[in-house]
Amino acid sequence: MYPQLIILMKFIKPILLILIFFFLSTKNSYSQTVNWESLKSDQKHIVSAHAGWDYAIVYGVSYGYQIKSKMPILLNVDFSIPAGEKVLEDFKTKIGAQFRLYKINHFQFSASIHGIYRRYENPLVRLQNFGSEMKGIAGYYKPKWFVAAEVGFDKAIVTHFKHSNLYRENYYADVKDGWYIPTGGNFSYGLQAGYSFKKSDILLRLGSVVTQNFSTKPTIPFYAEISYNFKILRVSK
Amino acid sequence: MAIAILISCMFGGCDTELRINESGNLVPKTADQDPSVPAIKINNALLHAEAFGPPAGPMIVVLHGGPGADYRYLLNCKEFTNQGYRVVFYDQRGAGLSQRFPKSHYTMQVLYDDLSGVISYYRTSPTQKVFFLGHSWGAMLASAYINQYPTVISGAILGEPGGLIWKDVEDYISRSRKFEPLSETLSDAVYADQFITGKEDEHAILDYKLMLQVSGESSEIGNEGKVPAWRSGAVTFNAYLELGDKEKPNWTNNLNRYTPKVLFIYSANNKAYGLSHAQKVSSVYATVQLFKTEGAGHDMLSFPIGWNNTYPVMLAYLNSLK
Repeated sequence: MYPQLIILMKFIKPILLILIFFFLSTKNSYSQTVNWESLKSDQKHIVSAHAGWDYAIVYGVSYGYQIKSKMPILLNVDFSIPAGEKVLEDFKTKIGAQFRLYKINHFQFSASIHGIYRRYENPLVRLQNFGSEMKGIAGYYKPKWFVAAEVGFDKAIVTHFKHSNLYRENYYADVKDGWYIPTGGNFSYGLQAGYSFKKSDILLRLGSVVTQNFSTKPTIPFYAEISYNFKILRVSK
Repeated sequence: MAIAILISCMFGGCDTELRINESGNLVPKTADQDPSVPAIKINNALLHAEAFGPPAGPMIVVLHGGPGADYRYLLNCKEFTNQGYRVVFYDQRGAGLSQRFPKSHYTMQVLYDDLSGVISYYRTSPTQKVFFLGHSWGAMLASAYINQYPTVISGAILGEPGGLIWKDVEDYISRSRKFEPLSETLSDAVYADQFITGKEDEHAILDYKLMLQVSGESSEIGNEGKVPAWRSGAVTFNAYLELGDKEKPNWTNNLNRYTPKVLFIYSANNKAYGLSHAQKVSSVYATVQLFKTEGAGHDMLSFPIGWNNTYPVMLAYLNSLK
C-alpha cells in the first residue's frame, strides 16, 4: 500500500468506522430534516427533494431508510448539485446516519454524522474532497409541527487538486497537484422548522456559516434550505 | 464514486501529503520567501519590482489594479522603453509577489509611502520626470497620491478607475459584478468555500481562494479572456475594500491644484463603465483628455487589440509632456 494512501485512510478511517458501526448495529439509517414526532415506526422509506443556498444555489434529492430499533434511526444518502450550465462538474454526496438520542416530553435531541464526497471544477482546477459532517439538533416536536436549533461542523478532510493548463500558463507554472490534508472546515448554526401532514413534511432550515477558525467567513456566510419529505409505509409481508 | 477515487489513488498513486498553506504549492512564494524574486526593500517591506529602459529616461510608474492584483497583466507597458522611457513595475505591498502583512497594517498612507519610496529608489535625478500609468484600482491609487501630493507627478494616464469618491466606486462595483444567480460563474466563485478555508494570516490559502474566485469575472466588463497574474493578495484586497466602506474616502479635494493634463481611458466593451461614468469620474481634473479604446474591455492594456488601439495615444500624450 502506498504511504500516501495510509495518510488518506488515517483521516477517513474514523468516519468509516463510525458509519459501519451504525450500519451493522442497527441493520441500517438517514440526513434529511425530520419531524421525529410525526415519523411513525412503519414509515420505512423517506424520499426528499430540497433546494436552497448551501455555499451556492443547490438542488438535491435524498433517500432515507428507517431502521427497526428502539432508538429511532435513519440511514440516508443525499445528492446535490449547484446551479450552473455544467451539471456534473460540481456536486456533493453524503451518506450517513441520523438518530434520536433523547426525548423528554416534546423536547427531543438528535444527532447525525455523514461522510461526504464532493467535487468542484472551474476553468483553473478540479477539486475532489472527502469530508465529514456532524450535527446536533435540539427542538420542540409536535405531530404536526416542530422547531429546532442545530449546530454542525463540516470538515474538508482531504482534497485532491488537479490544475488545468490555463492555471499553469496564466498563474503558476509550478503548482503542485495532489492530495492536500486538511483543506478546511466550517461551523454552521441555525434553526429548522417543519409542518407535517398526512405522509408529507414541508421543512425549512436557515442559519449562518463561519470557518473553523472563527476569524473568516465564506463568501456568502449563511445557508437556507426548503425541502419536502414523502414518507412511505413499510410493505407488509 | 468515492470508492473509485480510492482505488484510483491506490493504483494510480497518491502524491505525497501536501500542505495548503505552504507557499510554493498552490501559489508561488513571495519576495521575502524566495530570494530569486526581483525585489526592492521599501519601508521595511520587500516589494516585487522591476525596471526597464534607460535609467535616466522619463519614468513611468505602472500601478496595477485590484487591490491585490499584480503587474503581470500590464507587462505590455514595457513597449515604452523603445521610446526612451524608464518603465517601473512593482507589486503593491501585500499583492502579487510582494511581502504579506496582517490586515490591520494596511492604510492609504502606507501605499503613498511605498509609492514615494519606489520613485525615490529608481529616480536618478531630481529633474527626472515621473508619470503614472494606473489601471483600475491602480488609477484610483494614482489619483489618491496626486491628491495627496499635487506637485510631484508630471502626468498621469488613468485607465478606468472605479471612482475617486467612494460612492462612485460602489456604483461601479455594483454594475461590474453582476452575476446571473443560476449561472456557472456564480457557482464557480462560491462553491469552493466548502473545500478550502483559511485563517486571516494564512495568506497562501486566502490568496489561492481569491484567484479561484476572480477567475470567473462578470461578462459585464467585456474582457476578451482572463488576464495573467502571479498571485492575488486576499488580505490587502479585503483590507482596502473594508477601509473604503468604513472611511468613504474622497480623493478629489486637492486635485484642482494639479495642473498637467490627464489622459483618461475607458473601454468600448465595458458595459459597466461607459462615457457617462468616465466623464463623471474624470471631471475633477482641470484638464482631461478622454479616450475610448475600441475593441477592448476593462483590461484594455492586456490584450492585443486594446493595447494596439491605446498605445499610440498614450505615447503621444507622454511625448507631449516629457
